[in-house]
Amino acid sequence: MAKRSSKDYRRTRSIKVIMSARDQELPKRKVYDLRDYTESTAAEKFDSNYAQGVPIGIDFGGSRIRAGLTSVQEPAHNYANLISKYRDRKLNKTLTYIGNDVFLDPSIKNQAKSPYDGSFITNWDYVETILDYTFNHIGVNSSGGVNNPIILTEKPAAPLLQRKNFYELLYETYNVPQVAIGIDSLFSYYQNNGVNGLVIGTGHEHTHVIPVLKGQGLLNETKRINWGGQQASNYLGSLLQLKYPYFPTKINNYQIDNLVKDYCYVSKNYEQELSTALDLDILEKTDIIAEAPFTEVIQQQKTEEELARQAEKRKESGRRLQEQAQQKRLEKLIQKEQEFEYYTNLKEKLSTLNKKLTQSTLKEEGFTGEDDFNKYIENLDKSLKKARKQDVGEDNGEDDQQPPSFPLVEIADEELNEEQIKEKRKQRLLKANYDARQRAKREKEEEKLRLLEEQKKDDEWRESNLNEWIQDRRLKLSKIFEARKERQKLKEALNDRKSHAAQIRMKNIASLASDENSTSGGGSSKRKRGAATIDKDPNDTFGANDDDWAIYRDIANVDDEEALEEEEANLVKIEKELLEYDPNFTIEDTLDAQYDWRKSITHLFLRGPRPFNSEDSHEQHQIHLNVERIRIPEVLFQPSIAGVDQAGIIEVGESILLNRLSGKGFSGDSYDALQDIFITGGQAHFQNFEERLFNEYKSFLPADSPLNVRTAQDPINDSWKGIAKWVKSGQAENAYLSKQDYEEMGADYIKEHNLGNVNVLEH
Amino acid sequence: MTEVDIYEVAQSNSGPFSFKNPNHKHPTRRVKATKQLIIDEQKYLKLNEDKLKSNSINYFTIESPPSLKPSKKYCDITGLKGNYKSPSSGIRYYNGEIYSIVKNMASGVDQQYLELRNANVVLK
Repeated sequence: MAKRSSKDYRRTRSIKVIMSARDQELPKRKVYDLRDYTESTAAEKFDSNYAQGVPIGIDFGGSRIRAGLTSVQEPAHNYANLISKYRDRKLNKTLTYIGNDVFLDPSIKNQAKSPYDGSFITNWDYVETILDYTFNHIGVNSSGGVNNPIILTEKPAAPLLQRKNFYELLYETYNVPQVAIGIDSLFSYYQNNGVNGLVIGTGHEHTHVIPVLKGQGLLNETKRINWGGQQASNYLGSLLQLKYPYFPTKINNYQIDNLVKDYCYVSKNYEQELSTALDLDILEKTDIIAEAPFTEVIQQQKTEEELARQAEKRKESGRRLQEQAQQKRLEKLIQKEQEFEYYTNLKEKLSTLNKKLTQSTLKEEGFTGEDDFNKYIENLDKSLKKARKQDVGEDNGEDDQQPPSFPLVEIADEELNEEQIKEKRKQRLLKANYDARQRAKREKEEEKLRLLEEQKKDDEWRESNLNEWIQDRRLKLSKIFEARKERQKLKEALNDRKSHAAQIRMKNIASLASDENSTSGGGSSKRKRGAATIDKDPNDTFGANDDDWAIYRDIANVDDEEALEEEEANLVKIEKELLEYDPNFTIEDTLDAQYDWRKSITHLFLRGPRPFNSEDSHEQHQIHLNVERIRIPEVLFQPSIAGVDQAGIIEVGESILLNRLSGKGFSGDSYDALQDIFITGGQAHFQNFEERLFNEYKSFLPADSPLNVRTAQDPINDSWKGIAKWVKSGQAENAYLSKQDYEEMGADYIKEHNLGNVNVLEH
Repeated sequence: MTEVDIYEVAQSNSGPFSFKNPNHKHPTRRVKATKQLIIDEQKYLKLNEDKLKSNSINYFTIESPPSLKPSKKYCDITGLKGNYKSPSSGIRYYNGEIYSIVKNMASGVDQQYLELRNANVVLK
C-alpha cells in the first residue's frame, strides 16, 4: 500500500538531520513478539478414573474439544479440534495425530486439518478418528462398545443431517446406550446459574443470541449472526496483508489468532475512539508493535586493511570504466568535428558556385536543398558544443606542457616513405585528438566564466534589492511545485481512458505511427548516424526546440528520471538559498518539513508514533496494530463493516427484548430477561465487552431498566462444566435418547429439554 | 525439540479399540463439501415438508435478518471514518492523503479492499 518511494527516503538534506535529532529524543517503544502456536511438550495424558456407566461429556466445538467423565468438575481433556495424517518416509507409514499432539512437531502441525469446513462438519472419517482418540484417552475399556451415556453439544438449530451423522457414529460405531444433545451456550449459562436472561454465545464460526426464560432456552426467538472467532481472525489476516503487502515473512494463522486474542478489544464508544485513533498521543498508548521472528543477517566485520583494499579495487575499476567512456566520447567528438569541418568547407565552396551547381553538389551529398543543408550544419554545431562540455578526459598536467608537435602532418605523402606514412597517420590522429581536447577545454572555460558572471549578477541583485530577489526565488519554487502537481494530475488523467490527456496521447501515437511509415524509406545512412537529423520537409521544425522530444516521453507514459533529478536538485538549491537569505522562510516551510511523518495519516497508521527507518531489519519485520485493535471486535456490533448483511448483536438484542418478548422492556418476559445479559464463548474475552453492551442496550431500553450484563466465569470451559453440573442435578436422566428410541424415531429426532434444540419435524 | 516419542504417540492412536462395535460397517461416502451439505439439508427439509412443525426454526431460518439501520461508512484502508468515496473504484477513504493511495492503487488491490466488505465485483 502506501509506500513512499525509496528516493524520498534517500534525500540527504541538512534539514533532515535537524529533524531526526528531534526524533531521537523520543523514548523507545515496547516491541512484542508475534506469538506463534504453543508447542506441546508432552503427549495428551490417559485418564485412570474410567468407570462404566458414568456419563461422558463432549463439547465438540469448532476450534477445540472439551471432553471427560462428568464425575469431575473440570473437563479432563481440552484440545484443539485438529487431526494430522503425517506420512513418515523412514517408516513408510502414515501416522495419525490428534488434538494438542499435533503441536509436538512442526512437520506434523503443517499437515493439521479440522473436520469442520466453516460451520459444517465435512469429514466424518476425521470425526470418528477423533472420537476414537477421545474415548481412548478417557480410558474407555469396555468391549464391543462404549458403555457410557454421552452428552454432546451442538449449535442452535443445528443441521439435521449433521445430527444424524453423530447419532450414527455414537449408536452404531460405538454402541452407546444413551445420548443427550444440548446447546453449548445454554450449558454455559446453566453453569453460571442463569435463569432468566439473554445469552450471547460467540463461537468459532458464528454468534448466537438466545433468550432464556425460567431456565429454558427459547429457540424460536434465537438469532444467529454469521460471525465468529474464525471470521475475525481471517478479517485481521486480510487487513494485515493489505496493510503490509511487502512484509518479508509470512504471518501464519496461529499468529493472527494470537494477535486477535492478545491485543483486540471492544471499544467503549467506537465512533469517538475512532475519531482520535491515529492521533500521536493516543497512538503512544494504543499502538501495538509486534515483530515477526527472523534471523538477523550479521554483517561480517572486515578488517580495515580489507576494506581499504576493496575500496581501492572498486576505485580502480571505476577509473578504468571512466577512462573508457571518456575515450569513446572523445572519438565521437573528433568524428563530429571532422564532419563539421568537411561541411563548413563545403559551404564555403558552395558560396563560390552558381545556383545550379550548388543544387547538384548538395544532391550528391544527399541533401534536398539549401535549407536542409543549413539546418543540418546548425544542428551539428549545436551537438558539437554540447559534446565539448562533457568530460572528454583532459588531464590537468597538460596545461603546463608545451603543445606537442606533429611534424609529419604538414608534409605531403609523396615525400615520405612507407614507415613515415604510417607514422604520419598516427600523428594525424593524435593531432585531431589534441585539438579536440583543446577546443573542449576552451568551451568549458567559457561556460565556467558565464556561470560565474551569472552568479555575480545574482549576488548583486540580491544585495541591491533583496525583496525582489526573494520574490523571484519564491516564484521559481512555486513553479516547481506547480509543475509537480501538473505532472501528478496528468498521470491521474492518463489512467482514465476518456480524459482529454489520454485522448491527446492516443492521437500523438497515431500520428507518430503514420509518420514513421511514410519516412522509413528516405534519408541516407550517413545522416542518420549523427544526433542531428534532417527531415525531408523543410517546413517541419520538429526538434528545433528541445521540448519537442518530450512527446516520446509523453506517449511512453513514464517519468523522465534525469529531469526529475535535476528538478529535485534545483528545488534543494532554491530552498537552501531562501533559508539563508529570506527571514520569513523557515525549516517548517521546506518540502521535507511538509512531509513530516507526524502529520501523515499513512505513516501513523503503518508505522505508529515513531519515525520509520526502512534500513532497520527489525523495523521491517514489525507490524503495527492500532485501528485494527477495535476494528475487529466491532464487527460483532456492526456486521456491515465486514460485509455481513445482518443485524448485529445490539440490534438483534433490541428486537428480541422489545418486540419478541412480552412487556417491551417495562414488564413481563423482556423485563426479566434484560436483567441478565450473559456473554460466553471464544470471543467473550475481549476487554470492555460488558461495558459496551451495557451502554448500547441502555440506549434502547426504557430508562431505569434494571439492566445487568455479565460474562461467563470461564467462557471457554463453562459449556462442559455445565454438562457435568447438569448430569449431577439429575436433569440429564430425562433427556437421554436410548438406542431403541433412536431406532424408532429416526435420525433427526431429539429428546427436548431446557438446554437443547427443539424438534423441527413431527414424530 | 520435545522429548516425546512421536512414534509411540501415533501408535496409541492406531487402534484397534475394544470399545468399537466390531460388527458395524462404515457408510461409504463420509466426506462432503459444505456446499453439498447445505443443498442436502435443504433437500431433507423439503422432503419432509408435510411433517414440518408450524413456526419451527431450522438452520436457515435462524439467521439474523439484514439490519434495518443505515450502515455507517468507514475508510476501507485505515478503518477511520469514511466520508468520501472514490468515483472510479468505489473505495471509501478518510482524507485526501488516503485518496492519493486509492488513486495510485495497483490494479486488483481495490477489489481486494472491496472484498473485505463484500462489495467487490464478482465475474461469473
